[in-house]
Amino acid sequence: MNSGDAAGSSSGGSGDAGAPRRASRKPKYSKFTQQELPACKPILTPKWVISVFLLVGVIFVPIGVASLLASNKVVEIVDRYDDACVPSNVTNKLAYIQNSTISKTCRRTLKVPKDMKQPIFVYYQLNNFYQNHRRYVKSRNDQQLRDASKANETTLCDPEKTRDGMAIVPCGLIAWSTFNDTYTFQHNTNNLSIDKTDISWKSDRDHKFGSDVFPKNFQKGPLIGGKTLNESIPLSEQEDLIVWMRTAALPTFRKLYGRIYVDLKENDTITVTLDNNYNTYSFDGKKSLVLSTSTWLGGKNDFLGLAYLTVGGLCFFLAFAFTLLYLIKPRLVAYKLSYTNRIKFHR
Amino acid sequence: MFTLITLYSTIIPISLYVSIEMIKFIQCAQFINNDLNMYHAESNTPALARTSNLNEELGQVEYIFSDKTGTLTRNLMEFFKCSIGGEIYGTGITEIEKGGAERAGVRIDDDEDKRSATAVHEKGFNFDDTRIMRGAWRNEPNPEACMEFFRCLAICHTVLPEGEETPEKITYQAASPDEAALVAAAKNFGFFFYRRTPTTVMVRESHVDRMGSMQDVAYEILNVLEFNSTRKRQSVVCRFPNGKLVLYCKGADNVIYERLADGNYDIKKTSREHLEQFGSAGLRTLCLAYRDLSMDQYKSWNEKFVQAKSSLRDRDKKLDEVAELIEKDLILIGCTAIEDKLQEGVPACIETLSAAGIKIWVLTGDKMETAINIAYACSLVNNDTKQFIISSETDTIREAEDRGDPVEIARVIKESVKQSLRSYLEEARRSLSNTPERKLAFIIDGRCLMYALDPALRVNLLGLSLICHSVVCCRVSPLQKAQVTSLVRKGARKITLSIGDGANDVSMIQAAHVGIGISGQEGMQAVMASDFAIAQFRYLTDLLLVHGRWSYLRLCKVITYFFYKNLTFTLTQFWFTFQTGFSGQRFYDDWFQSLYNVIFTALPVIMVGLFDKDVSASLSKKYPQLYQEGIRNTFFKWKVIAVWGFFAFYQSIVFYYFTAAASQHGHGSSGKILGQWDVSTMAFTCVVVTVNLRLLMSCNSITRWHYFSVAGSIAAWFLFIFIYSAIMTSFDRQENVYFVIYVLMSTFFFYLTLILVPVIALFGDFLYLSLQRWLFPYDYQVVQEMHKDDPHEYSMIRLPERSHLSPEEARSYAISMLPRENSKHTGFAFDSPGYESFFASQQGVCVPHKPWDVARRASMKQQRQQPQRTGRS
Repeated sequence: MNSGDAAGSSSGGSGDAGAPRRASRKPKYSKFTQQELPACKPILTPKWVISVFLLVGVIFVPIGVASLLASNKVVEIVDRYDDACVPSNVTNKLAYIQNSTISKTCRRTLKVPKDMKQPIFVYYQLNNFYQNHRRYVKSRNDQQLRDASKANETTLCDPEKTRDGMAIVPCGLIAWSTFNDTYTFQHNTNNLSIDKTDISWKSDRDHKFGSDVFPKNFQKGPLIGGKTLNESIPLSEQEDLIVWMRTAALPTFRKLYGRIYVDLKENDTITVTLDNNYNTYSFDGKKSLVLSTSTWLGGKNDFLGLAYLTVGGLCFFLAFAFTLLYLIKPRLVAYKLSYTNRIKFHR
Repeated sequence: MFTLITLYSTIIPISLYVSIEMIKFIQCAQFINNDLNMYHAESNTPALARTSNLNEELGQVEYIFSDKTGTLTRNLMEFFKCSIGGEIYGTGITEIEKGGAERAGVRIDDDEDKRSATAVHEKGFNFDDTRIMRGAWRNEPNPEACMEFFRCLAICHTVLPEGEETPEKITYQAASPDEAALVAAAKNFGFFFYRRTPTTVMVRESHVDRMGSMQDVAYEILNVLEFNSTRKRQSVVCRFPNGKLVLYCKGADNVIYERLADGNYDIKKTSREHLEQFGSAGLRTLCLAYRDLSMDQYKSWNEKFVQAKSSLRDRDKKLDEVAELIEKDLILIGCTAIEDKLQEGVPACIETLSAAGIKIWVLTGDKMETAINIAYACSLVNNDTKQFIISSETDTIREAEDRGDPVEIARVIKESVKQSLRSYLEEARRSLSNTPERKLAFIIDGRCLMYALDPALRVNLLGLSLICHSVVCCRVSPLQKAQVTSLVRKGARKITLSIGDGANDVSMIQAAHVGIGISGQEGMQAVMASDFAIAQFRYLTDLLLVHGRWSYLRLCKVITYFFYKNLTFTLTQFWFTFQTGFSGQRFYDDWFQSLYNVIFTALPVIMVGLFDKDVSASLSKKYPQLYQEGIRNTFFKWKVIAVWGFFAFYQSIVFYYFTAAASQHGHGSSGKILGQWDVSTMAFTCVVVTVNLRLLMSCNSITRWHYFSVAGSIAAWFLFIFIYSAIMTSFDRQENVYFVIYVLMSTFFFYLTLILVPVIALFGDFLYLSLQRWLFPYDYQVVQEMHKDDPHEYSMIRLPERSHLSPEEARSYAISMLPRENSKHTGFAFDSPGYESFFASQQGVCVPHKPWDVARRASMKQQRQQPQRTGRS
């Protein structure tokens, strides 16, 4: 034909002839390698921002209201007694509490501010007690607590490991320092019975503390830390110990003491007779007695409800503010868009 | 005390290193190597990442150092257009014109199929015009001029033919590809130069009058007035078979115009316009002229010539003087335009890169004119650009050279370099403050550069180069290329990138932060020395603007996120410390802490490192300005880290105090109390959920892999804790968390906290992100919003699967398969073999001096290759 075609076909021919010979190294198409995986591209446009705020508000406010209502239904009596239960003539509280010869029985009168439905939970609350101190937390041996055959396992239990060469069961600081104040309640001269069963989590009773492990050599040293245990009762039934040994996260904590199955009326008075044995005076700890009812949410806890309400309210406010901003002022991005269009992206 | 410090060891993200290595490796091995946009079909070369630790630097490059030959250009000269007797011939459109038209919004259809049947495309010739092809020039208004034009092309050169003496088979050996292109053009116009003897040039001409018939004509070559850089022209005195004496001359336009005879102002004027037109299209131009000589004239001149030639002192100078005597009163025939073929898409690519804020420096061994020409062609320099030129080809330096004292020469050059650097620097600063819009270019040659790189002048050199938008260094040696690169690398403290194709670019490639080799060609040295290898210069756009930018964004995100998640986690521990009497008690179980980085938060961040895309690849290239965010390192500034740090601080407070408050009250209707490990497990659950959700919030694009990995990580935590707290082992302290999760899940409180805490924790981030986008959006966010309604793009649509090469591809494949010139000389107009390269002599390469040495060299080359065949000369 003509030279143009000839040149084209000859080069094309060589290309074609060459193509099969050389293995193509053309990459295979896949969405992964070409980085084209289908994706949703969330952009925080005003509409999205406002809707998210509204959504959160709509969800949170009812939850907040419900929690707050539940919390308000709870009636709680807190009575701090560590100072009050030391006679006013005692100057050295530490010596007083360490002197085991003095009877430390103390009487407190509590007024019921509102009707309290049963069950009424009895807690003791300690302040400034570092149950979460590293050495304290460490000072126990779980195998010994669980397994009778491992009674001599006292590793990590320093400094309460052995007494006269004999392993202490339960060993360790935690068990040694079990809380040992006791409370008895009187309502209109009737003694209120305290139910002290099922105050610990079931999993602890069943699995962490053996039903065939009995206390041995416990609190036999010169320094008595706290509660003494009845050596004929297995650990799995020593619920005060079990409760105590589920260490608290913060230096201020409550622990369940027992339950009272009696309804109390407003303005009833309750007389508490307590044995003030536990030494918190050496470290300025406070002791309080707490009587509280409970709801589906638990004890008195305004915090959760308030948090929900605050966040929900804030969301509504922000949704409103953003909407206002959106309506009053054309969106600043849009402004910048047109600006950058003109300045930066203009070719 | 030591126990306390070890608690915070989690702030050190040990898994960061592994994650980043993994991300970078996949980015290289899967994304860069497999990118179809960077696959060159003609040479069958995909991109190749040879190292995997420079990905993010690809997104921050501010200076590109590029070689010219083989990188920007194909080193392929093609006869493209001509102007004969005041008429332009040739219909081709250069890349630059295409680029200009596209900028103006005109789409030029350059479809091969639509070109006329007369179009010829072969080595050195890419021309199409029915008016003069195939003998049609006889019907043109000025056939005489056409004939002279073609004859001049066929006679006035120092080319050697090789191979069979047919138009199809013959090859031309020339010192520069320009010359070969011109002779090839003559061949295609019907003036086939096929044989050279020491005294004659044999041309097979189509008959002047009768079309179709051929005649062999022997032109006797009487004298050759060779090319050199001062003369910038070349002449041949020949005797026609009928005894007529003619001098043919070709050379640079200004040199030829000075020597034209009076008269013919029209042609001179139109030709001048044509020259400018060619020049602006990026073509290399030459003027052709002739002069009829009478016998007497010639004889008297030839005596002087012989005398000059046989003189022993200052022969070159005397020869030049003699040549001046006869090269006058010339008659202009026309001019040629040769395209120094740029690689495909180079001007567009360079323009995109400049728009991206990248400064491009051309470092070449070529002559200054060539380099400037290419700079024009690549739109690095245009007519509005202010040029600062430091050249060793000035009168003062030449004078010093004539005196011949090397110490004196060095002193003079150094002095002039010093002065011009200082004055240029001032001028550049003034220009920058007065007219910041004006582009500045700095051009320096290797010899001056040698002195400018002197420690005393270095500061000025760097200052001037950094002000200028583009810098061209010509006549530089490989070592100087490396010196310039490291000067900027160290002086400017910016990320530098070098790109080159040959062994002479290796040092430069190694000196820069990122080295890129052009692959798919003969030499492998550059590729072996490089960090990334691509087949074409234009793929830099994809490599930098798409892969580099994404990698940078992703790695910034991964690193800041790692910082955030570890800081958040560790700070919760930190707050706990205050309430344990600084005893060093751990807040979390050891296993929680160990697996936090390894399992519960590991995978999603890798997904972000692989898949996060702010804008699509095509938008990245459409808005090159986005790249500047990388150059400015916008996403890894102290400010960014501080914001993450602040929110880590805020979130950790939320996590710790909101969950810790739980231990103070009874929860659930049983009134039982939660212990320390219940609280820490609850806090840990909140941390894992929040940190994973926070990742989703910072994603620009969420693929299903993101969902899988985030949901999987959270699920993995629950699965782990369900199993872990259900079993009892004899391992130390494991009983602490026994049954914890089940205890927690028996309370409403746990669920309410699990909703509340992440929402409050993320509330701050969400507010910040919305306000930031609303009030101070990043550029990419602006682009995102501009294109948020665009449909999802697949390159499948853009790149249909092709089993065969398209005609266009076949054509460019054919071009790429053409043998490349490996001449040391390439240059403006044409380089004659008489030109001696500064570096060639430095390197001890002996370059022939005389025109006829070309023949000897060619024949020697031939002998070397095929000993049985002897050279033609």
